[in-house]
Amino acid sequence: MSALSLNRPADDPRIAGRASPRRATRRASDQLFAAVPALWLFVFFIAPLGFTVAFSFGHADFGGVRLGFTLDNYAKALSGFYLEAFLRTIRFAVTGCALCLAVAYPTAYFIARHAGRFRQVALLLVLVPYFTSFLIRVMSWQILLARGGPIEAVLNTLHLHVGPLDVLDTQTAVFIGLVYAYLPIAIIPLYVVLERIPATLVEASRDLGASSWQTFVHVILPLSRPGIATTVLLTGVPMLGELVIPSLLGGDKGVLMGQAISSQYIDSQNYALGSAMAVLVLLAIAVMVALLARLTRGFAEVSA
Amino acid sequence: MSRPALARPALALWYALVVAFLFAPILTSVIYSFNLGALNKQTSLFTGFTVDWYGAAWNNLQIRRAVWTSVVAAFWAALFAVLIGTALGFALVRHPNPNVRRLLAGLTYILLIVPETVIGVSLLLFYAVTAVPLSLATLIAGITPLAISVTALIVRAGVLTLDRRLEEAGADLGANRWQVLWYIVLPHLAPAVTAGALMSYVFSFDNLVVSTFLTTPSVNTLPVYLYGSLQYGPSPAVYAAATAVFAFTLLLVGLAGLFFRLIGKRRATLQSR
Repeated sequence: MSALSLNRPADDPRIAGRASPRRATRRASDQLFAAVPALWLFVFFIAPLGFTVAFSFGHADFGGVRLGFTLDNYAKALSGFYLEAFLRTIRFAVTGCALCLAVAYPTAYFIARHAGRFRQVALLLVLVPYFTSFLIRVMSWQILLARGGPIEAVLNTLHLHVGPLDVLDTQTAVFIGLVYAYLPIAIIPLYVVLERIPATLVEASRDLGASSWQTFVHVILPLSRPGIATTVLLTGVPMLGELVIPSLLGGDKGVLMGQAISSQYIDSQNYALGSAMAVLVLLAIAVMVALLARLTRGFAEVSA
Repeated sequence: MSRPALARPALALWYALVVAFLFAPILTSVIYSFNLGALNKQTSLFTGFTVDWYGAAWNNLQIRRAVWTSVVAAFWAALFAVLIGTALGFALVRHPNPNVRRLLAGLTYILLIVPETVIGVSLLLFYAVTAVPLSLATLIAGITPLAISVTALIVRAGVLTLDRRLEEAGADLGANRWQVLWYIVLPHLAPAVTAGALMSYVFSFDNLVVSTFLTTPSVNTLPVYLYGSLQYGPSPAVYAAATAVFAFTLLLVGLAGLFFRLIGKRRATLQSR
């Protein structure tokens, strides 16, 4: 999973695997520390996902699933309304993730390289939303974006907009919500890589005659690639299953996969079809991870 | 003005806008918890100031029960996350076998990126197939993996800064592995473990998507209750409840921060002696 690592040099297996005088007890504790979490996560995470995969090949009976092997569910999930929802979801995740990156990068850049001694505070401020209820924040966007709501008033006062604001229950509102919800988690990995770029590299680039823009494009941007990859991973991938934001801000048009899957389970009780759609989302994730791994290839070696 | 001189204020302005963007809904939810509303429903127009919703939220038995369920669920999830996540964070760095480390790292990260909707429906299916009735315990078990992964990543960062020579010195002086872990490693990891516990508690308390699939009418957490109340238009009382919880969370975080500050100071004075 090279796309995911933040490239800490101490991960070097040569350091981590060193022999010790008390090998036996040490080995016992090491195995225990690995086995307990692995077992727990296997039971409450991997096994359930396995059930989903198994059910996705099952036959849908009224309200139940007969196990077996059929691709009917996938055929259904990849046609008509559901295919549209799948493609729309991918489009939303890609766009939402790109927007998030565009907003987060300058923010992280400012915190890492310009905030000086206020760096910690600047980072903390960005994380405060995590300590409040996610749902209430999304509900507050409903208030903010509503016709006759606060944002309309502000925009009209600033003469940036005239008349009533028709944003709520549109795609735009969903994008605002997505960027909003994922922004903090997008900023952190970018901050981590940007903060680690040595000032000497930037100085060297200047001394060699590069303008600050050239330094940014040819030195800083390429070096922040692992952070960009991690950000894409932590924002774009979960967006593929986003449920609450499109339901609350997007109105009833343009259902996304998260909503489609959830309604198969909760309303239609068609577990087989719901499972097939969930597996499609997992496949889309696998493709995204593979692409990101390519993007950061070579970085693990460089930092070690 | 040259470009670099212009870049800095531009970035500062951008940062300020982002912070305003991030805080706008938080402020809104606090302000609108004092909104009079109309017909017991929240309105996007501020119709008047009142503090009655706080009393209404307190007297609403459903909200009170949901808050309590959330507190209990988040407490247990945080406890499991600390026990299991700390072990995982340690194993991520220190397990002697690099393949095991890679596998565990893969597991930890996959948890963070698999959409919660997929995790939620899978758990629902899992409990249905294994015929385990949904209860508070199944809810807690369902939300622990996420908390474990968050804690593990925080602890991992702490383990990476450990000075191995201290452990070797302890071992040379005759401590067994468990004594080394208990007396040397764990105290050094205390801030990371506490941060992990706090994050786990807050995230588990706030978990909505996985919980939506695992709650029943008798086991209802606050976010799930709020989500349900959206169907018939939420009362400003839910904003009041959320604001009260937010204040409590801030208090908790503030106390934890203060605690570590004091410990840090004491350590500094001890070392300077």
